[in-house]
Amino acid sequence: MIRRRQDWAGYAFLLPWFGGMVFMVVPFFASLYLAFTDYDLLTPPRWAGLANFREMAGDVKLHQSLKVTFVYTLVSVPASLAVALAVAIVLDRGVRGLAIYRSIYYLPSLLGGSVAIVMLWRYLFGYDGIVNDFLSWFGIAGPAWTTDPDHALTTLILLHVWTFGAPMVIFLAGLRQIPAMYYEAAGMDGASTWRQFRSITLPLLSPIIFFNLVQALIASFQTFTQGYVLSNGSGGPADSTLFYNLYLYQKGFAEFDMGYASSMAWLLLIIIAGFTAINFLAARYWVFYDN
Amino acid sequence: MNSRLDRRRLLTLAGMAGLAATLPACGRGFGGNGDSDGKVELNMVWWGDAHRAELTQKSLDLFQSANPGVRVRTEYQDSSPYKDKLAARFAAGDPPDLMAMRFDSLREYADRGTLLDLARHPELDQNGLTEPARALGRVGSASYGVPSGLNTIGFVIDKTLTDQYGVDIPDGDTWSWADLATFAQKVTRASGGKVYGTNFEPWTVANLLVFARQRGEDFFTADGRLGATEATLTAWYQLVEDLREAGGIPPAGFIDQNNGASPAQSYLAKKSIASQIIPTNNLLGFNQACGGNLVLLRIPGETQGTRRGQSVDTPALWSVAAASRHPAEAIKLLNFLINDTEAAKVAGVTRGVPANSRVAETIAPGLEPDNKRSSDFLAALQKEKLPASYPYPVGASKLTSILKTISTEVEFGRTSPADAGRQFVTEARKAIAP
Repeated sequence: MIRRRQDWAGYAFLLPWFGGMVFMVVPFFASLYLAFTDYDLLTPPRWAGLANFREMAGDVKLHQSLKVTFVYTLVSVPASLAVALAVAIVLDRGVRGLAIYRSIYYLPSLLGGSVAIVMLWRYLFGYDGIVNDFLSWFGIAGPAWTTDPDHALTTLILLHVWTFGAPMVIFLAGLRQIPAMYYEAAGMDGASTWRQFRSITLPLLSPIIFFNLVQALIASFQTFTQGYVLSNGSGGPADSTLFYNLYLYQKGFAEFDMGYASSMAWLLLIIIAGFTAINFLAARYWVFYDN
Repeated sequence: MNSRLDRRRLLTLAGMAGLAATLPACGRGFGGNGDSDGKVELNMVWWGDAHRAELTQKSLDLFQSANPGVRVRTEYQDSSPYKDKLAARFAAGDPPDLMAMRFDSLREYADRGTLLDLARHPELDQNGLTEPARALGRVGSASYGVPSGLNTIGFVIDKTLTDQYGVDIPDGDTWSWADLATFAQKVTRASGGKVYGTNFEPWTVANLLVFARQRGEDFFTADGRLGATEATLTAWYQLVEDLREAGGIPPAGFIDQNNGASPAQSYLAKKSIASQIIPTNNLLGFNQACGGNLVLLRIPGETQGTRRGQSVDTPALWSVAAASRHPAEAIKLLNFLINDTEAAKVAGVTRGVPANSRVAETIAPGLEPDNKRSSDFLAALQKEKLPASYPYPVGASKLTSILKTISTEVEFGRTSPADAGRQFVTEARKAIAP
């Protein structure tokens, strides 16, 4: 009896979540339906079967947007996690004023996706921006970072790496939970720092690494703001920052093709689900749970 | 307390985060306008800045005191978010009653039956408008928009810079594209590369419309097809690349395509270029941002081409939604905006020269000097025989993005002007295919 009452209390507390879910589930199925229609926003959708998905096969811009998103993800996710882990380890060594450093390094994570920071990035990396000024002191003529199609994505990857604060804080919490006695024992046995890192830190931290990896990968596939702001919504220069979601947005709202945009959303869902599944399968071989 | 993440909790967390994050957001908006106090409420939307908002509000105040039964609720934004929001409002079944419509989007909406055919509402008085002005909103025998004002494009040159470097400004009515190249190269050389002679956007459709007409082609034909040829696009990109080679325009990568159109942020205001193309209704803003010494010229090549290239255009049309619940009041307001002299006096020429010629003449003497200059520029053009401007066909709003991409490829030497011409025609035909 008591148990049942407690259940109800639980559900009551969950009510806002269920309420919120309505706004998730309805659009979820609406977009599933729209994915199989020809829908221009202004007139009612018409059933189109698999036409949208067939069109994808020959859509050069879609392929470009997939390429941009994959390159961005495969470079920036490992890079930002590596930086986050490295900084977390340094901070974990007991730096004085840890709280201050932690806050400073975390700050970019709060700001990185914001419009103001991407604007700032545009100025830093502009043709005669601060970065190129700095490089010119060393006699290096920097490229046109944001306007040259060969470099625009690089600046966004750097921006992503710079926002390593969120995984860093999680790494830091994880490091704190590794019992000090393991290191003491290893030290007594004469294990080097590198050896300790490989044999103690990495295995015990692997669930945290895994969690951060899954999170970062999903977030990265959904990148939108950075590309939108840097290119003012165009994905330029020459489609070099045309993220998948940016192209989806262009299709839906600028080109009046919401049916196609919906089918793109579902393709992205499938891609992310696929990557996440691979992640979980691979995790069996490298993630170590000690419970 | 041991709060280490165990396997199950981790799975749940990751799964939930993944699900929540990947749900495609594609909902329907909320809307509706209640007429609670017996007044008819009209919703009117447009794009622009705070200054334009102030002027617009002044004219609306006049309207509301003359029509106490109507309340006008306005919303405005920058042009780029405006475009997306307008589409979303139509999709949500909550279109505004009266709206500013982009010239290149008119048929996207009109051809899908979402706009009111104004030709069927004789109470809307368009008699004060010239035939070319009325043609801007016409699709077949129907009329889906009235120009909120008239403008064209012009070339502005910063005379402070040319005086400083001792370069003469060519005659603005008769200069050729070759004259522009010579002029630009002189400025760049004389300034030692500190200032580039010119820059104009090779991806802006309005510029290409003029260039194509000068070569005897219609960029868009009267029946809504692509009329510009590969040869014209190739010649355009060749012109730009020759200018770049000669140093008349900045090197590849210098200009950020997404710098924005605001006068204060322009390269002209930063004094890194000495001339550029602007919409004439922005002359006041540009002149203020650039130090007050801009000279306004016609586009080069007007007297050397097969025919004239410039035309009388509009920064925006006014359209009424077919689904408006108060079409009579919306048309009344529209009538007021285009035909009322007092409204035009307070609103000025922020949306271009009033489309009603009588109203334009009446307010002309009271305009600020720069606005007077751009109005006279347009008035002079209107007296000449110019080719007509037609609404862009459906799909034409994709062309800017296609042109931006191709322009970048040419700029960085990844493709030749000849290939660029071919690529543009192929992609543009596909974009505006029925």
